Amino acid sequence: MTHRTDDGPNPAGTRRWGSVLASALIVAAIGCAAVAAPAAATRIPASQPRAVLLHAHVARTGPNVHADAIESVAARRPLTRARTVLPVLGSASNRGSGSWLYVRLPGRPNGHKGWISTGRTRLSSTPWRILVKLSTRRVTVYRGGHVRRHFRAVVGKPSTPTPRGAFFIEEALSLSSYEAGGPFALATSARSNVLQEFDGGPGQIGIHGRNNLTGALGTAASHGCIRLGTHAITWLARRVGAGVPLTIIR
Amino acid sequence: MSSPIHLKRGLAGFILALALALAVPVAAQAAPVNLATVSPFVALAGTTVTNTGPSVLNGDLGVAPGTAITGFGLPAVVNGATHENDAVAGQAQSDLTNAYNVAAGQPVAPADDLSGTNLGNRTLTAGAYRYTSGALLTGPLTLDAQGDPNAQFVFLIGAELTTESASSVVLINGASPCNVYWQVGSSATLGTTTAFEGNLMALTSISLDNGASVIGRVLARNGQISLINNVLTRPLCPTETTTTPTPPAGEPPNGTVPPGTPGTTPGTPGTAPGTPGTAPGAPGTTAPVRPTVANGGAGAAPKRGGPAGRTRVKKATHNGSATIRSAPRKACTDGFRATVLGHMIKAVVFSLDGKTMGSRTNSPFAMSVRATPGAHEVSARVTYTDATKAKTMTLPYRACAAAVLQPPQGPSQFTG
Repeated sequence: MTHRTDDGPNPAGTRRWGSVLASALIVAAIGCAAVAAPAAATRIPASQPRAVLLHAHVARTGPNVHADAIESVAARRPLTRARTVLPVLGSASNRGSGSWLYVRLPGRPNGHKGWISTGRTRLSSTPWRILVKLSTRRVTVYRGGHVRRHFRAVVGKPSTPTPRGAFFIEEALSLSSYEAGGPFALATSARSNVLQEFDGGPGQIGIHGRNNLTGALGTAASHGCIRLGTHAITWLARRVGAGVPLTIIR
Repeated sequence: MSSPIHLKRGLAGFILALALALAVPVAAQAAPVNLATVSPFVALAGTTVTNTGPSVLNGDLGVAPGTAITGFGLPAVVNGATHENDAVAGQAQSDLTNAYNVAAGQPVAPADDLSGTNLGNRTLTAGAYRYTSGALLTGPLTLDAQGDPNAQFVFLIGAELTTESASSVVLINGASPCNVYWQVGSSATLGTTTAFEGNLMALTSISLDNGASVIGRVLARNGQISLINNVLTRPLCPTETTTTPTPPAGEPPNGTVPPGTPGTTPGTPGTAPGTPGTAPGAPGTTAPVRPTVANGGAGAAPKRGGPAGRTRVKKATHNGSATIRSAPRKACTDGFRATVLGHMIKAVVFSLDGKTMGSRTNSPFAMSVRATPGAHEVSARVTYTDATKAKTMTLPYRACAAAVLQPPQGPSQFTG
């Protein structure tokens, strides 16, 4: 028997209302009162299951080995070589194909998801969750479903906007004092919709500090990244790690 | 005085109103469904029960005739007994079959055939309702008992039951999850963050998506139950008896306080076996239904010094005792809660590394401690209401590495 537990594509064509479920995911996951939708009152989940990859995995379109391959997901992240940790959105078990996890995937296209085998993964969970509201230029940090902090932020300017959607933190890193965006950065799974590459990177959106950067907090002045004050990014980087859900809304 | 014409009009109006009243569909009265030995279970499956994440089950967990129960180590919590294909689970499955068949045999009025309609955004009164094929719930479904606490709601669903994300079953005017039965002809899937109520009896399997919660039971006859980060709470129904933890030797049962003994026995809120009230990731938080705890809960301890609890304390006794605990013991990323448990406690003064944090003179004698890097020591100075000598207890701890993350150095390649 196959069962699916979140908003992904219908693997066997047996599930109805999949598209409705998919469109409702962001709102349901955020549960933010600011979202203009009936599901805005949805509570923030207290925790988010995560899968730590102990080995490279092939992400597929369905929970079986015969489904199309989407991409290969490396076991370690490129910047720090830390293990890849992916948010788990659902699971499935097939009598013939074993157990599978429906996970968010890093990189382009933004917000894409896929199925990976549960083999060579370790399941964990995180109580943390980050919400970025672009209109107010504020970052809200949740723990256990409750608000822990609000931070003012610099978000992407109109020509290089911060992409919206459901993402996650790929890895956390500290930056040297001479680098832009220090002292810490949270590399996210989001990629700029405008800049295909930037500064030798893949146009990756980060949540980072403001060392050696201009732009006042509460403004839209970045190339797409989310800049926080030094105290705020330090607080965040000391607590939030890989696999933490990140939701960016208007 | 009314004219004949007015009388005719009035009579015609009365007949019309009567006809309209009779035309309103009245739900067929549903007969009670007896769960028998299934009652203690909050989750019962036929083949396997699998869990991912910090689910909390407030009630018994069982599987029969299968044997596989996986994914229930920490952080998942089962506040109840676990039965893996034992006699208890086997009998429960047998009784589940009976209950399922009784529910399936409920008479349904033609007007209560809801086939092809969505369960969401409607209010139903007591009765039996049928879906000849699958049923979908999008949004809230309100079940109105109209003041009758025994009102029965039975849903006969020919195929699958599916709820969309953030859907809910809302019980009003005395409706009880004990009296709501969902007889599902195949499998049931509860969408993300669905708040479901009632006894969900599926012929095959039941899947709960991330964050879905149930006040009731999930009962799969032949298939599996899969959970992801869910809270399942078995309701305490009037015909059931609460499983009361056996009090320790020498302790009065069921909260009764003998003369001369102030009821100050504290407990850890929401962590006693069989006590609903815990949520994933947040030990001690309140679940939607919190039945009265007979003994051991912090809230059950009579307030010292209150009119009802005022008792004369013999200063000459030395019956005081205290122990100190921390919770959660493993997840220390956000600090922990130090709790002093014991008898005859008058006051507790908590200190961290010798610096006073605060004092507590009422149960629960507990204080939150922040997880700061390095080794530390929490001390609790306990004084008693009787002549027991005050004592100081210590609780050394070292914040786990995850308490303060140390991100490794990396290159800045972001869009800026």
